[in-house]
Amino acid sequence: MGKPSLIFKNALITCAIQCTCFVLCLFIQIIFRNTALIPSIFVLGSFLTSFITEGYTYGIISAVIGVFAVNFAFTFPYFRLNFTIPENLVSAVIMIIVSIMTCALTTKLKQQEAMKAESERERMRANLLRAISHDLRTPLTTIYGASSAILENSNEFSDEQKHKMLQGISQEAEWLSRMVENLLSITRLDSGNVKIIKTPTVLDELIDSVLIKFNKRYPNRNVTVNIPDEFVVISMDALLIEQVLINILENAVQHAEGMTELSLKVYTSNGKAFFEIRDNGAGISAERLKNLFLGGSSHNDVPPDRGKGNMGIGLSVCRTIVKAHDGDISAVNLKEGGVLFRFSLNMEDSSDEQQI
Amino acid sequence: MNNKYKILVIEDEKNINNLVATLLEANGYRAISAFDYKNGMMMYESYRPDLVILDLGLPDADGTAFLREIRKDSYIPVIILSARADEREKVNALDMGANDYVTKPFGSAELVARVRSALRSARHGSEMSSPDGMFEVNGLVIDYGARRVFIDDAEIRLTQTEYNIIALLSEHSGKVLTYSFIIKAIWGYNDLGSTKRLQVNMANIRKKFGAKPGKKNYIVNELGVGYRMCDRND
Repeated sequence: MGKPSLIFKNALITCAIQCTCFVLCLFIQIIFRNTALIPSIFVLGSFLTSFITEGYTYGIISAVIGVFAVNFAFTFPYFRLNFTIPENLVSAVIMIIVSIMTCALTTKLKQQEAMKAESERERMRANLLRAISHDLRTPLTTIYGASSAILENSNEFSDEQKHKMLQGISQEAEWLSRMVENLLSITRLDSGNVKIIKTPTVLDELIDSVLIKFNKRYPNRNVTVNIPDEFVVISMDALLIEQVLINILENAVQHAEGMTELSLKVYTSNGKAFFEIRDNGAGISAERLKNLFLGGSSHNDVPPDRGKGNMGIGLSVCRTIVKAHDGDISAVNLKEGGVLFRFSLNMEDSSDEQQI
Repeated sequence: MNNKYKILVIEDEKNINNLVATLLEANGYRAISAFDYKNGMMMYESYRPDLVILDLGLPDADGTAFLREIRKDSYIPVIILSARADEREKVNALDMGANDYVTKPFGSAELVARVRSALRSARHGSEMSSPDGMFEVNGLVIDYGARRVFIDDAEIRLTQTEYNIIALLSEHSGKVLTYSFIIKAIWGYNDLGSTKRLQVNMANIRKKFGAKPGKKNYIVNELGVGYRMCDRND
């Protein structure tokens, strides 16, 4: 509880159920001229309330309301409270017991579910951390090794050798910085309570920015682009979606063996924007495909050496970001070879925040 | 040589400060290092630098406080060093009068290019914006006097608003202009629909310029921040 909106919602549910019960009972009384059914309807009502709302409060409140309602309106003497008749008292006690027990049961169930979800998240986080630590070690080895070698034995290396080592340092550092960017996004979004701030973003500008960054990293990779001619605005956190697109493109470059064509297509349909990235490489094994977006290889351990295999992290970042936008992401092997990554975003922002 | 530009570097990370200073020295500038707000203020008062490179996260005060303080009586160019996550802060600092920003981690070429263009626009700012000057970069020519725009000698027909936007961006070429800065300069007021209006105008300009996504275009989209016109360094 604690949140006013939640209290309001629960109170509303309680009220609605009790009113329905009351009206139903009135009808039954008029049509069947019989009050035998009435207590059981209120028992059902407080059972439902306990089941739907959180905690004990609302269930017990509704049981008490039920007791009073039955006593007041539907038992003799009508429209007067009277607790002296033993049947009335017994039915009151029964209703309160039923609702307390239902509350206890559902609360326990909900707690168990939360615990299960929590441990699942923990497991994923542990997997991710393990994959990351491994992935960080490789570039760090290069950076540390090369820089200390140059510092300590500067004279023993030729200019060409030094240049090569420095180039290695620079490349690995650049890779590390991208990795850290990914990690920042994932930790920021995965904690669950951070809401992303969406701003209306022009599709042209997004794709332009993505391609410029991608071309800087992979100058020889041509990406075929197919986007609508008209002016398209999509509500999103532009930097995060940019990261998704770059991660998927980069994943294709690093993992789609034998790829010669890479294309990016965007189209809109039914208030949604669909982004498709297609390559014609070797495809992804079915086993891999199952856990593609779940952060590294989730069952077997990280293989001892897989070079710069940050596939898991990059793609699980994509999933986290798209999910945070209430979108869907998927990957399928194509019949004609290669892989199609597709994700969708709602064009309009359904929430109320729209600012720059 | 006594006429080197003096650049004050305020950054608390020793390694980064050192790196920036070395880079600047290697490119013919004179670098002055400060590691916190107080020290930076003192250096600023006594050296009167030509440009300030400012980190936003200083140990004893926020970098924006420094910016606010010196903007009271000076137009000295300021370049912000910022981490990627501070998107808001970045826009904020630009709107508070910072001239440009460089995102950490940055390459040496990028930093030096930004410094060069900030210094140049500080020097030539007034002359560039004079009514009958000309602007020229990579085949794009703007004739401020006749209010006409050419690409590779072919005239591009722009509407009044489109021309005004292009002229504004070119007067500040090399510098990122935030959405709200452009909107205020072009329309004079900022309401709910104005970002959309700006975006539509920019889309039309791109179309008229024949811009292709991902290719070298004259206007760079800084997502979530604003637009920047290329200058001779790009």
